[in-house]
Amino acid sequence: MAGFADLNLPQGLDKKSLQSLLDTAAHLGYSAVALNHVIDFKEKKQEIAKPVSPSELFPSLPIVQGTSKRIKVLTRLTLIVSDPSHCNLLRSTSANIRLYDIIAVFPKTEKLFHIACTTLDVDLVCINVTEKLPFYFRRPPVNMAIDRGIYFELLYTPAIKDSTMRRYTISNAISLMQICKGKNIVISSAAERPLELRGPYDVANLGLLFGLSEGEAKAAVSTNCRAAMLHGETRKSACGVVYTVKKPRKVEEEETAVPACKKAKTQA
Amino acid sequence: MLPAQLGRAPRHLLVCERSHARHPRSRHAAHVRDHAYSCRVSFLIPECGVLPEVVKSTIADIGDYYLVRSLPVHELVTHEFIDAFVKKGSCYALSYKTKIDQDNTAALLPNGKLILSVDKGTYEELGLQGRPSRYSGKKVMRYIITIDLTDAGFQPESKKHNRVLWALKEKKPLEFDFLLAWYNTGAEGSTLMSYFSKNQIQALKPKITFSTLRDLQCPVLQSNDLQGKPEESCSTEELFEWLGAVLNQVSLDNKSSSFLSTYCCPEPNTVVEKAFLCTITGFIIPEKIIQLLEQLCSYFSEPKLAYWLTLTVHGFADSPVSWRESEHGFHKGGENLYNFVIFRNLDYWLQMAVGAHDDCPP
Repeated sequence: MAGFADLNLPQGLDKKSLQSLLDTAAHLGYSAVALNHVIDFKEKKQEIAKPVSPSELFPSLPIVQGTSKRIKVLTRLTLIVSDPSHCNLLRSTSANIRLYDIIAVFPKTEKLFHIACTTLDVDLVCINVTEKLPFYFRRPPVNMAIDRGIYFELLYTPAIKDSTMRRYTISNAISLMQICKGKNIVISSAAERPLELRGPYDVANLGLLFGLSEGEAKAAVSTNCRAAMLHGETRKSACGVVYTVKKPRKVEEEETAVPACKKAKTQA
Repeated sequence: MLPAQLGRAPRHLLVCERSHARHPRSRHAAHVRDHAYSCRVSFLIPECGVLPEVVKSTIADIGDYYLVRSLPVHELVTHEFIDAFVKKGSCYALSYKTKIDQDNTAALLPNGKLILSVDKGTYEELGLQGRPSRYSGKKVMRYIITIDLTDAGFQPESKKHNRVLWALKEKKPLEFDFLLAWYNTGAEGSTLMSYFSKNQIQALKPKITFSTLRDLQCPVLQSNDLQGKPEESCSTEELFEWLGAVLNQVSLDNKSSSFLSTYCCPEPNTVVEKAFLCTITGFIIPEKIIQLLEQLCSYFSEPKLAYWLTLTVHGFADSPVSWRESEHGFHKGGENLYNFVIFRNLDYWLQMAVGAHDDCPP
């Protein structure tokens, strides 16, 4: 069982409301949150900016209620794709994309959903909860996504705001559950105001409405979020095994030491 | 279309047993001793306006507990600590402000076992052998490591001891705020306060509140009948619910204007003019609870108006063990509590309740 995490806090707000959102999340018991930067390709071409480092935005992070640790803040990028050409951005080795901790994609058509589940290098696939799904889920891409370690994200804040969206949220979630059997689900808010955040145990209870079992619902807010965060971390390493860290260069004794390739030959 | 399991609450267990306090094979003291960590003790005496002096002095004698900030776990494994506190008397330690389903937790039982409940990342980095948690599901995310400090193989400079010290000191140093208490069986030596004077140790007194409840509806109970007979006495489950309502100050009159509760006192019941309720909150050790239980039993040595009284003890929701060494988990609630109902003739009922991620109490 890992700490509770909310992987979707919209970032387009001013600093003060973000700070109050963070304080509320820490008070409710979340140990980690992710600030979400949304890019929509339908509008004019947008550049993907470097992620703002949380330590610059928030000089002091609040302490999670009930523990003595501070809340962890990650950065996340969501791409809303409605055309296959939009996916090229992910395939290119754009330096700025690599700097985000979690990358999510929001497919709008069935073909893009298939591409996202099978080939794209993302951590989360967002499921639309605000309108009736334009396509049905099919088993092969969903199973491939589960094998690759990609998680499906459901939002709950639209359900709080509007009763029509509540119906769509529940019906879309239940149709997803019938295909994926409750595995690899992450439930998060997209809360713009502190009042729209809910405590982690309440969100786990909401998962029961979506058709998850009790253990799966609690995992959707804790263990699966941790797994999605680790999946994002492996992108910064080689195959998830080797990490590189920049060390300060040592300038002295460089010329006098035997070059490494010559050393290896003499030892072999 | 909606799943059928929506109507069901998470699983909970209530075990009831009945015996006599002066019976030679009565296990009331053993049950209290098995439940190591208690955070709240409350007792309710109907028809009592003033507490007898002996009970008052027992409460005042409950003793302090200590809060140590940022104590590394390897300090509890050193032989100075084991010889000074674990082997002489009963030492209790529990990590403070750690959640059992999210963070790492540590606890020291009076029988000398150190229990570490760690998450997957910490377990893999720590390097000590443990077993997966029973409540973790198919993908194991939590492991329980048990280190027996009084084991014969745990001598200083033995392989076991060196490995444990190396893991806790150098490989993955674990540090918590600890709640500590020590029941000294009369041996001389240093106290916890002086031993941990280098860390920030504070001595804290348990918080005690008294209140007198007026015109309280109390259920009628028969000591030899756990199930209750309709029209004659109430069952143990009904008593348990009623007691929970009274201790949480839920009003029992089912007023039409109240939206909070429609709970009513179970039938048959009598109205009691006054009842005494005392609540003690803190890190309370079982030895003191046994003394309090004995004093409450001797309350009935003189004739009293009350037919029964109750003593309720709540355990910590975030402790890694509930009774003896059975693992305790937190699913939607981490309750592990027990309740004594002591009758005039010194019969008693013992009810033990646990939540979802718990073993059946003994």
